[in-house]
This record gives sequence, structure tokens and C-alpha cells, in this order.
Amino acid sequence: MSCNKDYLNLMHIYLDGDISREDESRLRRHLEDCESCQKHFHELNRTITLMCSAERVEAPEGFTENVMENLPSEKKTVKYRR
Amino acid sequence: MDQFIIEKIKQVKKGDQSAFAEVVSFYQNKIFQHCYRMLGNKHEAEDIAQEAFIRAYINIDSFDEKRKFSTWLYRIATNLTIDRIRKRKPDYYLDAEVKGTEGLDMYSQLASTERLPGEEVESRELQRYIQHEISQLPAKYRSIIMLRYLEEFSLQEISEILDVPLGTVKTRIHRGREALRKRLRHV
Repeated sequence: MSCNKDYLNLMHIYLDGDISREDESRLRRHLEDCESCQKHFHELNRTITLMCSAERVEAPEGFTENVMENLPSEKKTVKYRR
Repeated sequence: MDQFIIEKIKQVKKGDQSAFAEVVSFYQNKIFQHCYRMLGNKHEAEDIAQEAFIRAYINIDSFDEKRKFSTWLYRIATNLTIDRIRKRKPDYYLDAEVKGTEGLDMYSQLASTERLPGEEVESRELQRYIQHEISQLPAKYRSIIMLRYLEEFSLQEISEILDVPLGTVKTRIHRGREALRKRLRHV
């Protein structure tokens, strides 16, 4: 488990794009040998792929118009005050 | 497209209110979606997203044009959603989470009048399921995970949006990924 923690941390550093070349090859070598870390790494990568396909929603109709109607009115006069 | 926004912001700062409509129109889907993902409820998301744009307009003079407008706007929106979550009564909060899962159950899917090929229904259900699982994360992890993977901000930008140190962003994104891995491993 203590070995795992070290490599788990490396996996996350790798996923953030912060890993050094040296650590990356250390992680790769470990993944070749350790089935449970391999599975974990695969699950993390898959999680990221799944996350990217979460539901997309769009703003309701008339959204921009509603915002524009609710803007404070004093600013509207700015250009005339010059 | 950035140049287009920079131009519009300049016009707004000069007092041209109508230029702001183009800014809203450009960002409305992103900001609404972000609020919806944070709050899990479309009505609340609409309220808060509207409020975010109104605040951005009111405070436009404090926006530093050397910085990225989207980062600034997301910061306003995120703070408003976090405020709203804090103000919820505990029972309301639970209720809202349940509301966030609307459409998740099979029956409402089947009752939908829209006719979709089988595969598409399946994938829409999966998308909703993923959204639901993300919405179950604690807010501090959820905001980071969303900004990183759904809005595609860099970790540095997320640190600016949320006003937390980069190291904290990294710790939270690690934990968020682990939490989601556990939730999604059986999908």
C-alpha cells in the first residue's frame, strides 16, 4: 500500500502534465509490473474521458435580453452626459 | 475571438451598453452551464448566471484589460454559486441535489415524446449520469473538476478564478479525480 501511494501520486502529477522525465519512466516501469496500479491508472484515464462527455446544457431562450433589461439604467446615460 | 471580446469590453467601458449584449450572448451558454453544474438546478442556475452578468457589467471598470475576461467572469459566477450553496438550508440542499437528477430515471426517459434511436438515448442517459455523479462531489472539488475538464481552463487559470493557491488546486483536483474514479469505475 505504501508503494501504491507513491505511484498514485505520480499518476496525478502525470495527469497534470507536471511529471519529470525521470519520474515518468519510473511510473511506466512500475505500471508494467503492477497490475493493480495499472488498473487504477486505466480507471483514472477513463474517468477523465467520461467527465469530458458530461451533459451539455444551453442557456434558456431570451437569456441575453433578460440580462440587458435588468442592467442598471444609470449607466445608459453615460454617453449622453459627456 | 478574444480580440472580438476585448473590443466589446472597451466599448462597454466607454458607456456603450448595447456592446454588452454581444458579450452576454457570447458567454451565456458557458456561464449558464457552469452555474447549472454547480447548482444542479436550472432555475437557480438562470438566476445566478443573470446576476453574474449584471455584476460583471456594474464592475466592468475594475476589470483589468491585460487579463483574460473569461477568467474574471467565471470568478464572479463561481463566487455567486458558492454563496448560493452556502445560503441553502440543509434540507433544501438535499432537495436540490435530487432535483439535479431530474430525468435520470428510466421512466421519465421513456416517457419523453422525442423519438431517438436507441443508442442516442443510451448516450444521453450516460451523459446525465456522469453529470449527476459530478454534482455529487463536494463543491470545492466539483468547481475545480468542472473548470479543468469541462471548461478547459489551465490549473493556473483555475487558481486565479477561485483565488486559491496553485498547490491547493492540485491537491483538490487529485482528490476530485479519485472521488470520481470511484463513482464512475462501474460505468
